[in-house]
Amino acid sequence: MTTFLIRRFVQMFFVTVVAAFLSFILLYLAPGGPIDELRGAQRQNDGMSRVDQTDVQRVRERFELDFYLPFRFSRWLIGWPSGPIFGAIGADWQVGCSIPGQVRLVYPDGRVEIIEEGCEVPLTLASIEDRRVSNGVFFGDFGLSQTILRDRPVMTLIMSRLPYTLSLMGTSILLSILIAVPIGIYSAVRQYSRFDYTMTTIAFIGSSLPSFVFGIFAILIFSILAQRAGLPYLPSGNASGARDWVMPYFGRIEAGSLVDRGLRFIMPVGVLTFINIAGWSRFIRASMLEVLQQDYVRTARAKGVKERMVIIKHALRNALIPFITLLAGVLAALFGGALITEAVFNWPGLGRLFIDALGRHDYNVVMALLFVNVVLLMIGILIADILYTIVDPRIRLS
Amino acid sequence: MSVPSSAAMPELKPARSEGQWAIVFRRLRRHRVAMFCFVVLIGMLTISALAPLIAPFERDEPNLRARFLTPMSVDNDGNLRLLGTDHLGRDYFTRLLYASRVSLGTAFFATFLASAIGITLGILAGFFGGWVDVIVSRTLEVIASIPTLVLLLIVVTVFVGREEDIPIPRFVTSIFAGFFAVQTREANIVLLVNIVLALFGWTVTARLMRGMAMSVREHIYIEAARALGASNFRILVRHVFPNSLPPMIVDFTLGVNAILLAESALSFLGFGIQDPTPTWGNMLNNAQNYMFQHPWMPLIPAMPILIASLAVNYFGDGLRDALDPRQRG
Repeated sequence: MTTFLIRRFVQMFFVTVVAAFLSFILLYLAPGGPIDELRGAQRQNDGMSRVDQTDVQRVRERFELDFYLPFRFSRWLIGWPSGPIFGAIGADWQVGCSIPGQVRLVYPDGRVEIIEEGCEVPLTLASIEDRRVSNGVFFGDFGLSQTILRDRPVMTLIMSRLPYTLSLMGTSILLSILIAVPIGIYSAVRQYSRFDYTMTTIAFIGSSLPSFVFGIFAILIFSILAQRAGLPYLPSGNASGARDWVMPYFGRIEAGSLVDRGLRFIMPVGVLTFINIAGWSRFIRASMLEVLQQDYVRTARAKGVKERMVIIKHALRNALIPFITLLAGVLAALFGGALITEAVFNWPGLGRLFIDALGRHDYNVVMALLFVNVVLLMIGILIADILYTIVDPRIRLS
Repeated sequence: MSVPSSAAMPELKPARSEGQWAIVFRRLRRHRVAMFCFVVLIGMLTISALAPLIAPFERDEPNLRARFLTPMSVDNDGNLRLLGTDHLGRDYFTRLLYASRVSLGTAFFATFLASAIGITLGILAGFFGGWVDVIVSRTLEVIASIPTLVLLLIVVTVFVGREEDIPIPRFVTSIFAGFFAVQTREANIVLLVNIVLALFGWTVTARLMRGMAMSVREHIYIEAARALGASNFRILVRHVFPNSLPPMIVDFTLGVNAILLAESALSFLGFGIQDPTPTWGNMLNNAQNYMFQHPWMPLIPAMPILIASLAVNYFGDGLRDALDPRQRG
């Protein structure tokens, strides 16, 4: 067990670093990015607010673009290098380039192009001494937000959005378990009954369709059409309203009140729950069917145990084993699983934050969310593996 | 024991040998839902193949005097707008036709690409084992432990808007522009989305193929083939691959659905294929902005997503039943 855990942790460590490094390279090496955006803004404003070399310099510093990539990554990961080592060593070591050299290319056909090549002013360890640096992601410091909440810690941003995602996912997972397990059991016990056919069809449709289509249909039916028909309707979008609104038959609903929040909570939870139920009830039905064919179930019946007890005590307990391990994977979904649903319903959770951060080049936020997601995903896989051995003694970790 | 008279014996028909695939097709034909879905799919593919011929209007032609026309209405030039017009007055029916070309084309092409990668790597890993297996399996693990949608979003964001910088040869771009019925400058981004989806979509296939190859490798006929002097390549192509084909076919249909939904989701979030090029996903994204004033709008791009996804899934389900050797009949 110990060797298994150690090996798994080492493996997890490497996978996390590799995944983080790949995304880091992608984000920073790709064309586009903050500097191009700045130049684009300059082109649009044509001269009104001219972007000069110091502006570019400042943006490069904000996004740490003046560091060479490996150093940029290590600064993000472990907060090093942050200055000369022990005060003096390596003060003139070059870790980046503050002002890149420019080369004027004049083509034979008269076109002139300026390209960046070489380095005019190098960035040395001494010159970054008073530069702010995070303690590194490995030590729990995700650094500062670059554009969304300028210079505020990424952690603050994540913490402000976390409750929304947690409440959404927590409620829907709980509801899904409470509904999916009985449906799965009943479908399996009454296999090929009308209930079973209906449920398997619904589950099949539910698990093969995308959540955004469900989301849009939900908004269409419960929000728009209900409102047009003068019926009580559910507001769509955001976690709480900006102004008071009137619900037919119920009266005025105050913006931000508990009722308002509750009503806005229903649709996203409903959509997520429906999709979860579709997948999980099928899963439980399948594992229940398998268990019901086992010899020990027949033995229990032959002994004269009541059918109710056979199902609950002998069959269900064993049928839930694979389901519990499936739930371990939910851990990662807690964090990023609701991305699309949050986008559809404009729900201010972590998924929305991720999309916003990507659109606004807030790389520290993007990387933080990705990092946490990868770590949670791997912890989930680990927990699933360990749970397997606990609930099923035949499996050994090696 | 007396020998029964020939009159009492039922006449024995000569055993008709029926090939494996004939059995599968016979079973599949009996599966009504699967056959219906197959017809629907073929219909959709035919329509999308003929899109430029059927389309009544120019794909991007705006008409600001005819915005948000409801389906079956007539615009002020007297033209029938079968499925209405969008926020720029572009014909919805025309755009939907072209979108089906891009969306379905992506679903099938990217899945084909992903399957090709997955099958090749999986078969090599499973058949040869050793360091090939180690490399493939570790790569699989790394990719599996990265949240796919999140990474897809990152990759696509990074390249959208700068697609001219992607080094894809001109002639390749024009071939795919023809395949997806898009303009040449749009083909780059469509192709990029395809490649990205394939690069993150091959893992399931590879894992499945690896398992199949590992089990097929142990069969006696492989040993026989080897004894007859067959090369590794010949064994892989003539014996291992055909014998692991059935689960791969089912996997392909599941992959088509997964990639169709992934592309729609990306475009829906505004990160995939961008607006002038229509896809079902980005049409739905646009429609969402106007659905409060025009509730019919999201229905039109949403329906084909629903239909295609269900048809592919039900067909795959029927195919799985038909290919299952444990089933009789």
